[in-house]
Amino acid sequence: MKPPSSGFLDRSFPYWTLLPAVIVFVVLSVYPMLNLVGMSLHVYRFEGGQEIATFNPWQNFSYFSGDPIIRPAIVNTIVFVLVAVSAEMAIGLALAICVSRVSRGKGLIRTLIILPILVPPVAIGSMWRLMYNFDFGILNQGAALLGLGPINWLGDPRFSLLSVIIVDVWHWVPFIFLILFAAVEGLPGDVMEAAKIDGATQGQTTRYVVLPLLKPAIVVAFTFRSILAFKTFDEVFLLTSGGPGTSSELISLHLYKVFFQQNNLGYGAMLSITVILMVVSFLLVSRRVTAAQAQG
Amino acid sequence: MQLKSALAAAALGAVLWTATPAPAPAASFVEVGKQAPITILINASPWYAGFEKAVDLYSQQTGNKVDLDVTPYGGMLEKARNAVRGGTSPYDLLNLDGGWTIEFYEGGFLKPLNDIDAGFTVPKELLSCGNTHYWNAAKRFRTPDGGKLMGVPPNCNVHILAYRKDLYDKAGLSAPKTYDDVLAACQKIQSPPNMYGFVARGERGNSIRYDFSTFMIGHGGEIVANPQEGDFTVTVNSPQVLAALNQFITLMKTCGPGNYGSIGQADMIQLMASGKAAAVQAVIAAWSNFEDKTKSAVVGKVAAAPVPAAVAGKKPGVVIGNWSFAVPKNTSDDKAKAAIAFLKWFMSPEAQRAYAEAGGIPVRVDTLKSDLASKPQFSWMPAYLDSVEASVASLGYAEAAAVEAAFGLRLNQALIGEMSPAKALNTAAGEIEAIFAKSGRKTGKLAPLPE
Repeated sequence: MKPPSSGFLDRSFPYWTLLPAVIVFVVLSVYPMLNLVGMSLHVYRFEGGQEIATFNPWQNFSYFSGDPIIRPAIVNTIVFVLVAVSAEMAIGLALAICVSRVSRGKGLIRTLIILPILVPPVAIGSMWRLMYNFDFGILNQGAALLGLGPINWLGDPRFSLLSVIIVDVWHWVPFIFLILFAAVEGLPGDVMEAAKIDGATQGQTTRYVVLPLLKPAIVVAFTFRSILAFKTFDEVFLLTSGGPGTSSELISLHLYKVFFQQNNLGYGAMLSITVILMVVSFLLVSRRVTAAQAQG
Repeated sequence: MQLKSALAAAALGAVLWTATPAPAPAASFVEVGKQAPITILINASPWYAGFEKAVDLYSQQTGNKVDLDVTPYGGMLEKARNAVRGGTSPYDLLNLDGGWTIEFYEGGFLKPLNDIDAGFTVPKELLSCGNTHYWNAAKRFRTPDGGKLMGVPPNCNVHILAYRKDLYDKAGLSAPKTYDDVLAACQKIQSPPNMYGFVARGERGNSIRYDFSTFMIGHGGEIVANPQEGDFTVTVNSPQVLAALNQFITLMKTCGPGNYGSIGQADMIQLMASGKAAAVQAVIAAWSNFEDKTKSAVVGKVAAAPVPAAVAGKKPGVVIGNWSFAVPKNTSDDKAKAAIAFLKWFMSPEAQRAYAEAGGIPVRVDTLKSDLASKPQFSWMPAYLDSVEASVASLGYAEAAAVEAAFGLRLNQALIGEMSPAKALNTAAGEIEAIFAKSGRKTGKLAPLPE
């Protein structure tokens, strides 16, 4: 004879098994997010070694509305994400398709291509800063051999953001390549063979067979990379620190300066939420566009 | 025979004992007694080697243990903040950049030194270093006038003009006394891109704000009217500051490399050390880079001169950018006392001499005027002393970081031509006024400059 409550226990048992994961999720994700939202509504100061928080969201809004850096930082971030991620997707996809068609040495080529992603960001920043150096950099030495004057890669507002984008593309193309290469290698052989038997050229096979089949992997790679690109900090911090002027200021870098250099915790938290909202908005728009394309 | 040998050996021993110079007696240093072990948060800087050797000497002499947490500049502020905001500080002495001190003073994170040892004073020979180690809480300003002693400076970082004496001599030029002299010399010597006549920092933020300050103060300009007395009227868009900015831009564009808008400290040092700059406006801490055979192609060719005057006949404008040793509030009493003991020892003349000989920048006037100054490796001492004695502290208020961010951006935009100098200064004035207004200061600004 079953005890009267066993039916409820049996039914609810699967939910109880989720409890440890829910606790971990709440502690590690939900609480920090709520704390961040709470911080963005307060103004912080320190007195007698103690933190004093005052509820004053309007103060942080007034910082936001009067912040002369926020607009160029948002515009630069959007330009950075669109240009860098588009270039990375195009180059990564092209490399994935080309390498998949190589018959010998595929492993070696793959290893060489993914090398940049293994380099620590600080080393990447230092290395490229040296390469971009106006007087001693290898890029300007190369330019001199071609009879060109030295290019002010990091010190000219017309080139500074582009210079950061070039480094970002160099750094992250391997990430896109890895995802798409795995997807290309996993394409069904019979479909490819059928295309060949039907007389499709390599270009036609790529356009009408490979790309449609790769679409799920492309969407995943694009989504991951876009999220990371919105949060780019290390490269721009090490290369230009946002300058000259505000020409390469990105929102994450501005957030760092407000939070850590100016010690403005409340406004820094508000900027953090701005970054999160930017990423979410971008992903929602991307999904809509993708869905519309699929229907069209 | 045995007796003769013994007598001879004794006589020889006596002769050797009297002929061997006695080691410097430990008693000539300050006696601090047995103290608890301490840990110091210290930045990895060009003068660190000198400090490390001074600490080794302290440990040898006193038997007191001192651990050093050597941290790159970029990580110092966060380590210091984490230390004072936690339960018990892992550090007993924090080396704080002058620009950070106000956050720590105002937040109540430090022990005033006389709360630890009521009789503690700094020696009269100690450089004032802009008095950034005093804090007047009522005025919210760094001043000994009614302020408490919060720290001791291990380094008074000020600018000097480092120039290539060999090139200047060859061109028949003497050390520049004004920025106009620098401009004239640079036009005679420079041959870009092989040789730039004058290099200073133009990078946005602290770099350009700090290097431009010598021009601004030299012209009689200031960011704020009289912060010490609570008058935070913004004066950054005065005709004097405009004249200074025009002079700064002219020198940077005429004499510097094409990337003048992004030159940071490392770039400037690199240009001088590699032999591509005839003169640089550098902080004294950078000097060792020019005299280090492993890093420099110009060893023995660089001379130091005081900061040039911006206006002939007027005093040069020199700005302090020093460090300060301070004791966290959340360290134990015995460790705080041990930290004070170390500071007493470190400020003694003998310790300062040892510190200088090992590559440090001493903070005692008598050390800087000692026989060391006549030795070639310390040839920078007279110029440094001239500069440091003329120096003033800047940004001595709680809003310093935000003010520097705003001013440093607009200066950089004027330099790279994104804004006219007058517009940049008017814009900065408006932004700085808003910063002071938000924190409840009595503020205002001058009438805008014609753009």
